[in-house]
Amino acid sequence: MTTAPTAAGLKLTAAQSGMWFAQALDPESPAQNTAECLEIHGPIDPDVFARTLRQVVSEADALRVRIVEGTDGPEQLEISGLELPLHVADLRTSANPFSEAYAWMHADLAVPFGLAEGPLFAHALFRVGDDRWLWYQRVHHIVMDGFGYSLLARRTAEIYTALASGETPPDSPFGRLADLVEEDAGYRVSGTYDKDRRHWDGTFADRPEAPTLAGRTALPSRTFHRRSAHLSPLATDQLRELASSIKATWPEVLVAAQALYVSRATHTEEVVLGLPMMGRMGSVALRVPGMVMNVLPLRLTVTPYATFAELTRQVVLGIRAARRHQRYRYEDIRRDLGLLGEGRSLVGPLINVMPFDYGLTFAGARTEAHNLSAGPVEDLTVNVYDRTDGSGLRIDYDGNPALYAPDELALHQSRFLELLERIARTGPHTPLAAHTIARESELSLVLDEFNATARQVPATTLIGPIEDQAARTPDATALVFGDTHLTYAELNTRANQLAAHLIELGVRPGALAAVAVPRSLDLVVSLLAVLKAGGAYLPLDPDYPADRLAYMLADAEPACVIADRADRVPASGVPVVALTGLDTTSYTTENPAPGLTPQDRAYVIYTSGSTGRPKGVVVNHAAIDNRLRWMQHEYELGPGDRVLQKTPSGFDVSVWEFFWTLRVGATLVVAEPGGHKDPAYLARVIREQAVTACHFVPSMLQVFLTEPAAASCTGLRHVFCSGEALPRETVREFGRVLGPGVPLHNLYGPTEAAVDVTYHPCDTNGTGAVPIGRPVWNTRLYVLDAALQPCPPGVSGELFLAGVQLADGYLGRPALTASRFVADPYGAPGTRMYRTGDLARWTASGEIEYLGRTDHQVKLRGQRIELGEIEAELAKDASVGASGVLVREDRPGDQRLVGYVTPAAGAAHPDPEALRARLARTLPEHMVPVAILVLADFPLSPNGKLDRKALPAPEFSTTADGGRVPANHREETLTRLFAEILGVPRVGVDDAFFDLGGTSLLAARLVARVRDTLGAELTIGTLFQAQTPASLAAQLDAGNKESDHALDTLLPLRATGDRTPLFAFHPAGGISWCYSGLLSRLDTQQPVYGLQARGLHGDGEQLPSTMEEMAADYIEQIRTVRPHGPYRLIGWSVGGVLAHTVAVRLQEAGEKVELLALMDAYPSDQWQDSAIPAEADALTALLRMAGYDRTDELTREDVLATLHREGSALAGLPDATLSAVVDIVVNNARLMRAHRHRAFDGDLHFFTAAAPREEDWLTPDAWAPYLTGQLINDEIDCLHPELTQPGPLDEVCAVLAAHLKELDHA
Amino acid sequence: MSATEPTSLTVDQIRVDVADVLGEAPEDIPVDENLVDYGLDSMRIMTLVERWRRDHGVTASFVDLAEQPAIEAWAPLLGAAS
Repeated sequence: MTTAPTAAGLKLTAAQSGMWFAQALDPESPAQNTAECLEIHGPIDPDVFARTLRQVVSEADALRVRIVEGTDGPEQLEISGLELPLHVADLRTSANPFSEAYAWMHADLAVPFGLAEGPLFAHALFRVGDDRWLWYQRVHHIVMDGFGYSLLARRTAEIYTALASGETPPDSPFGRLADLVEEDAGYRVSGTYDKDRRHWDGTFADRPEAPTLAGRTALPSRTFHRRSAHLSPLATDQLRELASSIKATWPEVLVAAQALYVSRATHTEEVVLGLPMMGRMGSVALRVPGMVMNVLPLRLTVTPYATFAELTRQVVLGIRAARRHQRYRYEDIRRDLGLLGEGRSLVGPLINVMPFDYGLTFAGARTEAHNLSAGPVEDLTVNVYDRTDGSGLRIDYDGNPALYAPDELALHQSRFLELLERIARTGPHTPLAAHTIARESELSLVLDEFNATARQVPATTLIGPIEDQAARTPDATALVFGDTHLTYAELNTRANQLAAHLIELGVRPGALAAVAVPRSLDLVVSLLAVLKAGGAYLPLDPDYPADRLAYMLADAEPACVIADRADRVPASGVPVVALTGLDTTSYTTENPAPGLTPQDRAYVIYTSGSTGRPKGVVVNHAAIDNRLRWMQHEYELGPGDRVLQKTPSGFDVSVWEFFWTLRVGATLVVAEPGGHKDPAYLARVIREQAVTACHFVPSMLQVFLTEPAAASCTGLRHVFCSGEALPRETVREFGRVLGPGVPLHNLYGPTEAAVDVTYHPCDTNGTGAVPIGRPVWNTRLYVLDAALQPCPPGVSGELFLAGVQLADGYLGRPALTASRFVADPYGAPGTRMYRTGDLARWTASGEIEYLGRTDHQVKLRGQRIELGEIEAELAKDASVGASGVLVREDRPGDQRLVGYVTPAAGAAHPDPEALRARLARTLPEHMVPVAILVLADFPLSPNGKLDRKALPAPEFSTTADGGRVPANHREETLTRLFAEILGVPRVGVDDAFFDLGGTSLLAARLVARVRDTLGAELTIGTLFQAQTPASLAAQLDAGNKESDHALDTLLPLRATGDRTPLFAFHPAGGISWCYSGLLSRLDTQQPVYGLQARGLHGDGEQLPSTMEEMAADYIEQIRTVRPHGPYRLIGWSVGGVLAHTVAVRLQEAGEKVELLALMDAYPSDQWQDSAIPAEADALTALLRMAGYDRTDELTREDVLATLHREGSALAGLPDATLSAVVDIVVNNARLMRAHRHRAFDGDLHFFTAAAPREEDWLTPDAWAPYLTGQLINDEIDCLHPELTQPGPLDEVCAVLAAHLKELDHA
Repeated sequence: MSATEPTSLTVDQIRVDVADVLGEAPEDIPVDENLVDYGLDSMRIMTLVERWRRDHGVTASFVDLAEQPAIEAWAPLLGAAS
């Protein structure tokens, strides 16, 4: 029945190949099924419909194939004797014909096609009403794309309409599959293909992270979740108008809106969206129903201050640029960038716009098309359909079930629709900052409901309640320190007497008094005394370095400094109150009445700033009083409680330890100075002193829990954590060690907000990240995006704090204060909020999750990394006690992930390689540390936090020793470049770049260096495929046929560059690989060619009989790449004599020689009295060529052994060549001695190897007779053979490069 | 010009209309180059086809124009005098 062309035995197009590989990964997956249902409103004759489909299928040869694996890759064959796969059912008697039909379709959609058997399509026709029909078709994506569907549907309607009225349908409009295949093959060998590849590889050379809403990636699942919704007709019309008012199309507006959404939802300015393109403009494919579409990456920058119109313009121009290179395949870009190997995605969400409403009629019956599946969903695909029926744009969210739960998908979709509505309302010229991605309902949740913390508190101070308590329970024990203790009355009396003394020294409300007293009873007395005097205390940790203490005293200018002894602080001019020997017993024991108000300062605590200069945070009484009242309400401490005071006073956690305890009549157990770092001591104190409440920084808690005695601390009623992120694993360990009876609380707050602003009771059986919790009394938390718009729950942003606990600001730093404490746009007029610099998000239940810092975001290979996740994974291993992971930058610009672990008590010693293997099993490759170090214990800072700076750097070793040596100059060059980039002394040819600690950043540098040095086209992708110098050289050779050239007379060391080429003449041995060192040291645009001796192949090629003959030969070679001057020539050793000879001959031929440079080369008459060398001398020359002086090598074997040991490229030469080299050396020595120089007309640049040598008669002045110009001599302190080695060559090239530059600009 | 009596297109008018959907100036739009390089996409071709069908009674289809996206190639299809 068919007259249409057949498609037997065709190759796949590149587009199809991508699909084929995807299917091959999971042959049973139905993910590549695409399906559509056309609803027909009118009468249909099923027989005519079947005839119609048969004709359409007969015309569409791309449909009628099956795909088999041929010997030469997959190919598509026409299916012979194809029966139309058509299921027809009349469902009019069904209770719900539509549901039944759709149930059938969805079941059918879950059936995978067999590629090798075919057919790769199926049809069904359901009668769901007297005049209602559903035509369903399912097609494997490998043979059809969305545009193809539209061609098929249009033709089906056309034929049916003709047949139904008894007419002959018009001729088939379809083109052939073979044309597609041919066009595709032609493209892949065209210049356009290369141009397109360069465009994409260049645009994405930095391999940007592609943010996704899920924040992680997964392989496509076998199915997908779909949520369908419609934008309102009004907003749809408004968006169309908006688009046309800024000369854009509505799909471009939708892309811009999605970019805005993704940017805000992922807290990144840079987004990369995927745009499916029909890919048929100007192509035969416009008439072929087949698989052509491509996905192109669109990179956008979304800043708050741009307007929506500006963002849309960026989209228009971005798509325009992409469209010029739209035939280059998405899969190929990923491969080129090396993303395939890392399983990384190139793009985030896909925006698949299907702008065409078919608007088809079947013999007059109108239709509506419904897409059922648009193919595999890797992450998220937003399918947008334009329907002209006035229902507004249909916007489907298809999500990979491995990444999105249905309700998450629905949430993103509804937010996006609300955002579109708002954009439609506000118009194109509104700044993006005006838009939030949160829904109205979410805004009231995160701004109001989660922050409903208002609470009346009495106006008191930090000290007032303590004085009241002392009056209530004078005989209760207030303080315990070792064997000593004080009652409340004793403490109050001593503090009052010291306060009276301080008042005399000028301490009063508003004034500061520094306290530099080690942990002791006196420390507490001093703090109370300062407050009683009305002053604010400034804690100075006696463990701090003297210059830091001096800085703080100078910066804060306190009225006095209280110290246990006078030499505790550096002399500063501030009066010192030395407690030792101070007698205050004459002072009054009554409470002073300084007239303190809640708005006065209570304390000033210095925190380290990211800028390096510590800054004093000023906290007032009302702020800290609120904090302590909330704490008492939440945790209720009573007279029987004993609180451990172990936090250094310079750390604000100590504030509640001191004052909460004493305000409520409990006992403060003061730990020994330094005791807070000793887990065994802490466990003993807690047990022996019956401590009921204490605090740990999480890393110290980890350490404490590994202490066997910790398990006996079950008398604790409250354990508080704060200061760092609390790992879930630590919480679990806490439950295991201390049992369910000891509550653990996670608190969070910066010094800038009176110690803590959030709290969370930890569930020791919980999973997932440990939240930092809800806001405390009279405190509001905001998670804001880059535009300071609230983030909805689940979306990360920067955490801002507002409320009574905010600090007054930074002492004496109004500008800094103004930059961190900003106007609160969501609070009452005049209120402030504090910018924490912490990344956080709301949970759905109104708790905050801490996600890290915004300013020191950890990013590696362009990807954000949650170190906590890796740490938790390490901690799961039974051998691991505590774990820490950080990004090190031991070499500038070279960031590497390094893990640290301590051994678990009583377990096997951790094995770093086993741990890495374990991580590699559960984490993406970029999250596996390049090294894991086992430490006996972690270094802790004075505050007990993990001291990350004190963690040791890992060492990377190479396997260069004993490995194979480079086989050619390319391998030698590559090993050198590898070593240089990796910062190691030497790299073997078989050492893999990434095993030696290479990162993608370093890889990019290496690729650039290889390109510059060797002029070879290379992508990072190649490096991922070929990670060793040997395999990379092979790859380059495959592309450049370089291996064939290695011994050619003219060796293109770097054939690229726009400068006048430099020709370098071989030394005695005839090989000029030694000049490869020039490449990295001269301008990358400077081409360099080596001239090499005839006969190197060892095939008996005749050696020249005079120096002049040799020079003439070389000039011929030179002229093949540079027919005329000016010329630049350089030569080392015999090569210098050759360079001079060539220069003279060129000048005699009328050419200009603008550079003649000789490296320690002497004219022939200096040699004429010395003997012609024998083989022994030839071996010396061979060694010299490799850069070594001969020492005790006697035979050819000895020489070879040396070359091998030193890793020279020459050692890889075949015996025939080495043997030829010896002959060449001898021949050159003879020719040189017989040579008669003529004069070169010009200057001569000379480099003398100036170290003392045996041939002490050699002097550059010997050139004077053979020169009309100047002899410019530079002495390099090295031996002759060392001149081409790295150090001396640096010096040579510094001079040479400067001179070349002059010539370039002459 | 009345809606019922469509005027025929000219090359200049094509250029003006193409420039309009691209948000460019007509003089920046060449008649002999691939308009894809200037940002022409299927949406914009559809817009033009609809506009020209309505205003000038043009019968060329989307596929006809998309096959050779250059003004020079379009002129005969659109019945335009230069």
